[in-house]
Amino acid sequence: MTYVIREARATDLDAIMAIEVECFVNDAWSKENMQSELIASHTYYLVALVEDSVVGYAGSSQLEGATQADIQTIAVKPNQRGSGIGKALMVALTKEAKRRGAKEIFLEVRADNTVAQKLYKVFGFKQIGLRKQYYKPDGVDAFVMKTSLLPEVLEEPLVLGIETSCDETGIGIVRGNALLANVISSSMDLHARFGGVVPEVAARAHLEALLPVLEQALAEANVNLDDIDAIAVTNGPGLAGALMVGVGAAKALAVATGKPIYAVNHLVGHVGADILDQDKLTVPTIALLVSGGHTSLLLVRDLLNDVQLLGETIDDAAGEAFDKVARVLGLAYPGGPEIDKAAIGGNPSAIRFPRGLTLPKDMDEHRYDFSFSGLKTAVARHVELAESKGEDYLIADVAASFREAVVDVLVNKAIAACLDHGIHRLLLGGGVIANARLREVAIAKCAANGIELRIPPLSLCTDNGAMIAILGSQLVQAGYAPSTLDFSADSTLSVTTIQS
Amino acid sequence: MNNVTSTKLADFSVAIDTSAGTTIALLSLGSVIAEVNYLEPMTHSERIGSAIQTVLTQGQVSPRAIAQVVVGRGPGPYTGLRVGLAAARFFAIGAKAELVGVCSLDAIAYSYYLANPDQSLPILVTTDARRKEVFWALYTGMSAGIPIRVEGPSVNKPDYLAEHLSGQEHVICDLPITASALGQVAYYQSLTDIGPSQDSSPIYLREPDAVPGKAKKVSG
Repeated sequence: MTYVIREARATDLDAIMAIEVECFVNDAWSKENMQSELIASHTYYLVALVEDSVVGYAGSSQLEGATQADIQTIAVKPNQRGSGIGKALMVALTKEAKRRGAKEIFLEVRADNTVAQKLYKVFGFKQIGLRKQYYKPDGVDAFVMKTSLLPEVLEEPLVLGIETSCDETGIGIVRGNALLANVISSSMDLHARFGGVVPEVAARAHLEALLPVLEQALAEANVNLDDIDAIAVTNGPGLAGALMVGVGAAKALAVATGKPIYAVNHLVGHVGADILDQDKLTVPTIALLVSGGHTSLLLVRDLLNDVQLLGETIDDAAGEAFDKVARVLGLAYPGGPEIDKAAIGGNPSAIRFPRGLTLPKDMDEHRYDFSFSGLKTAVARHVELAESKGEDYLIADVAASFREAVVDVLVNKAIAACLDHGIHRLLLGGGVIANARLREVAIAKCAANGIELRIPPLSLCTDNGAMIAILGSQLVQAGYAPSTLDFSADSTLSVTTIQS
Repeated sequence: MNNVTSTKLADFSVAIDTSAGTTIALLSLGSVIAEVNYLEPMTHSERIGSAIQTVLTQGQVSPRAIAQVVVGRGPGPYTGLRVGLAAARFFAIGAKAELVGVCSLDAIAYSYYLANPDQSLPILVTTDARRKEVFWALYTGMSAGIPIRVEGPSVNKPDYLAEHLSGQEHVICDLPITASALGQVAYYQSLTDIGPSQDSSPIYLREPDAVPGKAKKVSG
């Protein structure tokens, strides 16, 4: 759903009043009050429109030259809630208040309206007082809330992004939507002998790599730390011990430089990466993120407000399946490129390996979920059976057939998500996108179904700091308040928590 | 006449240790201005930013005035330890301060000697290393504010340690670590010719315990 926000006009009065009465019932303003608010010179009222009809409004009041502003009201029609309209109205109000010279913004909220209070906390509002029985005739108390976290509204912010969620230490620097540096130090080689990422090894490597990676990123971008406007850092999901290295470093850097910090979601960062390539993200879009740690299908309506998890792997990530099958076949780590090599000349239909969660009974409950654990076991059984009978098997056929099974499930479920939701747009992200067969099949099937396919350059698909920086940059450009310093590293952070 | 030089005025240091809980101190020429201590062993990454901010705010000192960052190198449980080391490195580069490292056990020994008149009493400092082991170091006394470490830091089972040190007289010390003590050790080191160590690498004492992988059999 798309909405438009514009300044309210006198002709919006009736539409606004309809929502006012619907939302505030007993303590709704009178039409006369609302009208005088709309036309007063010291107020600023906005309406949100969906398909040209008013679905929400918000207003603030600030006397000329005053450094304090008051949010007077905000309302969104009940059937339009949950898609970020309220947040967008708040962003616009706080931006305008700041532009008019406000240093603090105040508001009153019903003590029993926890949904609104939660929204205000995103903008740094804290309760500073209580007005007993303020709302008549219900006799409900009002909380007085205040924020002084007024965002620095910058059109082209210089943002530094820090990513340490798995085995890549990444620091990226962007200016606005433009990529200035994207430096990555991978500990992949250190994990090779273990056949998979060892969390302790990864975390040790992050600590060693962070400083040299930062220095290289600053040098590549030709900026210094004083120039940076904001710091963004991945706080989840990912390996806990690895995330904490980046979080600790980012917080200390923010305190040392006095810059705002934005704690952002790794998976949403993967989606945002496309902005670095296209200068914008076209929404709505389905996003398929496939890596060694994640296999997730997302529905993105708004990068900063509305990301929904449609499905994810219920066991191994796709990249993990490649690693494990590579071990079964005696191939090196990481498994993806090795299996690609081994599959050359192989017949992808030689062996019919299982496609996890695609049977009709699974499709009811797990339509957009993935499972690769059974597939890995099937490959191992196939190989062991052949070996126990002393038979030769064609490794190229096994590799090609396995890969085909993975690619089939990934692409078919992603296409189904697009068609089911009527969204003819698919974005790929994550390190497994490096797999040529996956890209090939995705291109063919998207074309056959009239779906526009976006594949960012590979350097932006694998874990990197630039995608974290660009997501931070979008938050700064949209006027979002920074995160407070006490956020935690959350290894299972939900994709709906875009900023912590 | 007031003749304090500007370099003296800028001689603030921030000490950071996450080898056990989270402890942060702000010092000026070795005297403690502010200190924050969180004993709980799991919240380092949540606490670290606001803890540093708090000591700076309490001391009314801007990050730019910090000349030196002192970090506890451990030993200690790795996940928490790394938070302090990562923070110290990035705070130092952000504040354009010098970064020095101190063995965390030295700070514990310092606290012990500070509270005891006998500066030549042998002490054994131990901390929990998990897995039924202890991190330890042996000290023979303190000289000019610097504990004299003669053995360790090491990690062993308590049984081994008892046997290894049998026949030696020492007091067992398991005081909590404080960043103020860490900062003071670095300060006294800076008064010597050698100065504090530029080494801010973690003292892990154990390799990551992972075994090289092998494909597992799935069928009979």
